[in-house]
Amino acid sequence: MRTVSAPILAALAALTLALVSASAETAPPPPLTVFAAASLSDAVAELAARYERDTKRSVRLSFASTSTLARQIENGAGADVFLSADEEWMAYLDERRLIAAGTWIRPIGNRLVMVAPTDRARAVELSKGFDLLALLGDGRLSTGDPVHVPAGRYAQQALEYFSVWDIAEPRLTRAENVRTALALVERGEAPLGIVYATDARASKSVRVVAEFPAASHEAIRYSFAVVSGHDRGGARELLAQFTSPDALEVFGKYGFVIP
Amino acid sequence: MFTPDEWQALRISLEVAARSVALSLPFAIAVAWLLARRPFFGRTLLDAAFHLPLVLPPVVVGYFLLLIFGSRGPIGAWLSEHFGLRLVFTTSGAALATAVMSFPLVVRAIRLSMENIDPGLEAAARTLGARGWDRFFSITLPLSLPGILAGGIVAFSASLGEFGAVITFVSNIPGETRTLSLALYTAIQTPDGDVAAVRIAALSVSLGLAGLLLSEWLARFARRRLGP
Repeated sequence: MRTVSAPILAALAALTLALVSASAETAPPPPLTVFAAASLSDAVAELAARYERDTKRSVRLSFASTSTLARQIENGAGADVFLSADEEWMAYLDERRLIAAGTWIRPIGNRLVMVAPTDRARAVELSKGFDLLALLGDGRLSTGDPVHVPAGRYAQQALEYFSVWDIAEPRLTRAENVRTALALVERGEAPLGIVYATDARASKSVRVVAEFPAASHEAIRYSFAVVSGHDRGGARELLAQFTSPDALEVFGKYGFVIP
Repeated sequence: MFTPDEWQALRISLEVAARSVALSLPFAIAVAWLLARRPFFGRTLLDAAFHLPLVLPPVVVGYFLLLIFGSRGPIGAWLSEHFGLRLVFTTSGAALATAVMSFPLVVRAIRLSMENIDPGLEAAARTLGARGWDRFFSITLPLSLPGILAGGIVAFSASLGEFGAVITFVSNIPGETRTLSLALYTAIQTPDGDVAAVRIAALSVSLGLAGLLLSEWLARFARRRLGP
């Protein structure tokens, strides 16, 4: 260490100081971090780009399964806004006082559909006890893991409604989020999948072969909220932007249901 | 103390690891021998290629496997058509993924062992009239046994812990591909799954400890057999 001469140290110190003061002078507001359910990827990316353009403030996006994101927030991940694909995980965070009071809203919904790879898509007639095994052949039914992924949970409810859950359960792919479940159908690894209508619309490689009636599962309502401790510094404004009439129009364009 | 699902995850972990070692050892011995003995054009490149799984993110390896061995991939489609062998969503696929991931570790261990063999021994065997295969099986292979054992054990342990390549390639299916690491991941994702997560973690720790003790014992055994 003795070989580092004093002038070099001084120069380094000066440089550091210059960098620090420069960033302090022009300091843009720190970026906002949005944790969003995988199914929201496209719409939220578009809204975030729009927000960045309008406000010159950068937005960092993290897409994963709602359960993964909720766990990360529980363990102190620095998210400002959380966009959950269901109410259960938002309630989980709310019970632990991890979302800012009074910010929880449910602005959009979704529908559940069955998809197949485009080149093998044939319409499926849904009725009590429909022959799911014949449709699957030796393949699997691709959906999120019902234990923790919201799309999988809705899928379980719908399959139970049609009395085919017992057949379906051992044949599930149990993907870690709905977009992974979709990808397995896109690549032809699974002959059928259950995903949101918006996911099906986002992909050219799959086609909707059946739509689950609203009565067959709990209403799919997304829950948005500001993470507690982050309700100052623009997070509320961002959430308001994401639920403005313009934003709802964008969500509608991607196929989300506006109640 | 443990639930049936957890025992099942343990069984799958062990099965995947054992099959993965069985799959990779013969190839690893061949590659190690190639790299240790014969200088040839492109050896460095080949060496680098076999080390790729060590430096690539496991998810990348899993993704490549999916592209190549998936039911529409070039090899996957062929295997499924001619042998009815499906890799995606199956224990065999998980074993393949872990074998690919741990391959460089096995090759390294065996190669080190082979490079330490006195070339004079093989030369002497040659003067005594032993042909190539004979020399390999009666001199090279027995003398590389410590490396093969070490490589096998390292591969076994690495296979037990593999996560990214497995979940990407064969998903997380209970009874097929849900190993201990994947079961732990699922427990962490589940609301109030902490108790289960801690139990599975404890199971992993005991398994790891048992593996380390066993490998130490095997290494001593091999040293004794080979003498000073």
